[in-house]
Amino acid sequence: MSETTQAAQAAKAPAAKFGGKGLNVGIVVAAIVTIAGLVLWGVQLSGGFVQTGMRNLDSWGLYITMFMFLVGLSAGGLIISSVPRAFGMKGFGGISKIAVWTSICCTVLAIGFVVVDLGQPLRLWELFAYSNLGSPLMWDIIVLAVYLILSIVYLWATLRFEGGKGSEKALRVISVIALVTAVLVHSVTAWIFGLQQAHELWHTALLAPWFVSSALVCGVALVLVVIIALRRAGYMELAQENVVKMVKMLGAFVCIDLYFFACDLLTSAFPGGSGTGVVNMLVAGPLAPFFWVEVIGCAITAVIAFVPKLRTNPLIVVGSLLAIVGIFCKRVQLLVGGFQIPNIDYAGVMTPYTVTDATGSLTNAYRGMVYWPQPIEFSIVLGVFGLGALLLLLGFKYLSLRPTEKSH
Amino acid sequence: MATQRLGMIVDTKRCVGCSTCAMMCKSENNEPEGIWWNRVLTIGGEHLTTPSGTYPNLTMENLTVSCQHCNNPACVKVCPVGATYKDEETGVVRQDYDKCIGCRMCMSACPYTGVRSFNWEEPKYPIGIDTGDADVPKHQKHVVEKCTMCWHRLAKGLQPACIEVCPGRARHFGDFNDPDSEVSRLIREREHMQLLPEMGTNPSVYYLV
Repeated sequence: MSETTQAAQAAKAPAAKFGGKGLNVGIVVAAIVTIAGLVLWGVQLSGGFVQTGMRNLDSWGLYITMFMFLVGLSAGGLIISSVPRAFGMKGFGGISKIAVWTSICCTVLAIGFVVVDLGQPLRLWELFAYSNLGSPLMWDIIVLAVYLILSIVYLWATLRFEGGKGSEKALRVISVIALVTAVLVHSVTAWIFGLQQAHELWHTALLAPWFVSSALVCGVALVLVVIIALRRAGYMELAQENVVKMVKMLGAFVCIDLYFFACDLLTSAFPGGSGTGVVNMLVAGPLAPFFWVEVIGCAITAVIAFVPKLRTNPLIVVGSLLAIVGIFCKRVQLLVGGFQIPNIDYAGVMTPYTVTDATGSLTNAYRGMVYWPQPIEFSIVLGVFGLGALLLLLGFKYLSLRPTEKSH
Repeated sequence: MATQRLGMIVDTKRCVGCSTCAMMCKSENNEPEGIWWNRVLTIGGEHLTTPSGTYPNLTMENLTVSCQHCNNPACVKVCPVGATYKDEETGVVRQDYDKCIGCRMCMSACPYTGVRSFNWEEPKYPIGIDTGDADVPKHQKHVVEKCTMCWHRLAKGLQPACIEVCPGRARHFGDFNDPDSEVSRLIREREHMQLLPEMGTNPSVYYLV
């Protein structure tokens, strides 16, 4: 079946099936969750961050973990839609607009997670007034903003082009710029952590390429889950060959990501110095559950991706979800692992602000995970995700994201 | 005038770990409950002032640790709004509470675990009223703070509060860029170390060993 006929069918038949009451209910629920999240954010700001699990020795937590994770998730959509366009290759059956829309939603969420992590969000304007251009955090804010704007421009240009306006060349140029920005966004996010000599786990040149590969893994996996779900819901049709193409890509990305992990572990452990402590912490220490879920989950994803018989829709969804969970576990390892090994661990005065669990000694606090989120953090994370679901569903309702004849 | 590099020296051979400097710092700077800019750490057992090893082979040493006022500060580089900055004239690493957006990037970047504190809630005080010097800036909720090298005292030509009160006379203050200063003389004459030299931060706090 040619791409054109497929698309023509897609435009006719399923439109009636999708949407309606279910979609509206979804939008209302997402809006309620978002509002609840906003209220809790107010509670966090008025009552203080003391309600979170973050403390002086573990000064970042679930929010920054989610920030890393969402920046990664946003990658897949943009890359899947811009790579074929940029290199003039055959696409994935017209899903590019849906992919970019998921990418835009994830970027908004990533920015949201940084904002809820700020102690003084009313001073955000200072970022533009007193910008310290030497700070990796400042680089990230700039690149993320550019990335968000570019993604929106890219979606708008695609919609315009498909409506018969604008040139393909212009669209192609935008897709190339968007692609470069996507790679930059992941690198710069990695540099927030990787340029800090204070944390041995983070301070490696591999971190930036590794963030790119992790982003490709969970990003492509997310797009796969979304399009299989949308196809199921009757939003659009898509030939299985396109899904298979993406699954194979997912398999390749998962292998690259695991390969980077292996390189990093070997380089840390081989000299037998302080790096051994880092490897032990991941493999057998407090972070071991997250390590093994990631490694085993990603390995299963690779098997599903590469064994033709296993590439059935349910298993593809399972594999994609395992990859997403795996990369989330990786983010947890990175964030908590960075704080898990202190540079100065001598006994000193312990106050309720020292570590999450300040009841015992410092050694005791580091015996388990040094940081564990509190209920308010889980709730606010849920609220931010509510905002994401709201945006995503509104997009499906009001934007014409379905594949058309000209779609890539 | 040549720029200064103000700093401190702690003589670990004289320090008895009495915490007077930590207490003085806390009251002079009106540090809220749970906040300690200057802490005595015990190199030894699991708890404060407990030795390590088994009797009779026990050892115990003290290390007072506060902001190291690095010559190459990691915190200054990463602050997105320049709320933490190095004073060019004196080399003191400063923190502007009014500017801090509470992102805690500096806490993460600082290699010296625990010298920076965040006010995780509205600052509370044990006796309900402010103590310490009247010129100390007001503490704020949700911003990062740390040792100021008693900036308010330096402005009056005084030494940091922790220096004067040390009963063992283990603490010294001065300009490392002035070869005739007491601190310059001490590191010329005595064996000394800086904390975590491998981090490349070049602290302006030296420890005599």
